[in-house]
Amino acid sequence: MNSPLLDNDTLVVWLTIVGISLTTFVTRGSFILLGSRLRLPTFVDRALGYAPACALAAILAPELAVMHGGLQLNVQNPRLIAAFVAVICCVASRSMVLTIVLGMATFTLIRVWLSI
Amino acid sequence: MDPRQAAWREGSRDMLEVALGVIAWALVTGVAMAQSTLTTPQAVVLSLMAFAGSAQLAVIPLMAVKAPMWLIILTALVVNLRFVIYSAALARPLSHLSLGRRAFLSYITGDMPFALYMQRTASDPTWSARDAYYAGIVVTNWLVWHISVLVGIALGARIPHEWGLELAGSLALLALVIPMAIKRLSTLVGVGAAVAVALLTYRFPMRLGVVVAIVAGVMSSLVIDWLVDRRLPRVTI
Repeated sequence: MNSPLLDNDTLVVWLTIVGISLTTFVTRGSFILLGSRLRLPTFVDRALGYAPACALAAILAPELAVMHGGLQLNVQNPRLIAAFVAVICCVASRSMVLTIVLGMATFTLIRVWLSI
Repeated sequence: MDPRQAAWREGSRDMLEVALGVIAWALVTGVAMAQSTLTTPQAVVLSLMAFAGSAQLAVIPLMAVKAPMWLIILTALVVNLRFVIYSAALARPLSHLSLGRRAFLSYITGDMPFALYMQRTASDPTWSARDAYYAGIVVTNWLVWHISVLVGIALGARIPHEWGLELAGSLALLALVIPMAIKRLSTLVGVGAAVAVALLTYRFPMRLGVVVAIVAGVMSSLVIDWLVDRRLPRVTI
C-alpha cells in the first residue's frame, strides 16, 4: 500500500468516495427496492424530514462564520455578508440562480475593494 | 403516439423547462469540486457515482480538514436522508417495474424531478403512465446534470483559487436550506438550533460538532412538533 500511486491517504479518499456514493444508492433505493408495504413510525418519518436541513445548516454555519480559525460574526467577514445578502435574496425570490449570483457579486465586490 | 411514450416525452419536456436551475446547481458543484482538495479524477468519479449535489458540496469542507471517513460518509447519508421520503412516495407508482429498472430509476432520483413528479400527479394520482412520465424526467435530469457538472469541473480547474468560488457551493446549499427552513416553524427552529450548536462546537476535534449540531437540530424540531401536536393545529408559515 505504500506505492507512490496509491498511498494510504489516497486510498482513504477513494474509499470515502465509494461510501458517499453508496449513501445515494441506499437512501434513494430504500422503499422503491424493498417494497411499498413498509410504513415508518411518525416520529421517524418526521426526523428523516428534518435531518437534511439540519445537516446542511450544521455544515454551512462554520463555513460562513469562521475566518482565520476563529468566529467572525461581524461585518469584517466578507463570506458572512455575502451569505446574509444571499439569504435575503433567497427568501424574497426563491431563485437559486439569483441567490448565487447576488451572493458571489457581494463577496467579489468586498474582496476587490479590500483587495484580499 | 403510444400514451407511455407521450408521457415520457412530457416528463422530459417539463424537466427541460426547469433545466436552468439544474445547470446552475451542477456548474457550481463542479467548480467547487475542482477547487476542493480532490484531484480531478476523484472529483469526476465522485460526481458520476454519487450524483448528489448537496451531499457532494457538504462533504467538501469535511474532506478539506481530513475529517474521519466515517464522519464524512455519515454526513452524506444524513444529507441524503430526504430521499428515503421520496423513495417511500415513489415506491407504489414504480412497484410493477423489474428490480433492475427500479434500481436505476431510484438511483437517479433528485429533488427537482421529485418536485415535478408530485406536482404533475397531484391532480391525477392514478395516471397509468406516471412511471413513464417519471422516467422521462429523471433520465433528462441525469443527462443535463452530468454534462453540466463535468463542464463545471473543467472550468473550476482553470479558475484562480483567490476568486473564492468555493463560496458559490456554500451559497447553493444555502439556497437549498432556506426554502426548507421557512416552510414550517419546526424546521426553522431545528435549523436555528443546528446553526447555534455548530457555531458553539466548531472547535471540536475531527468536525464532530457537526454530529452534535444535527442531533440538536432534529431533536428541537421534534420537540416543536410534539408541543404543536398537543396544543395547536400545525403551524405553517
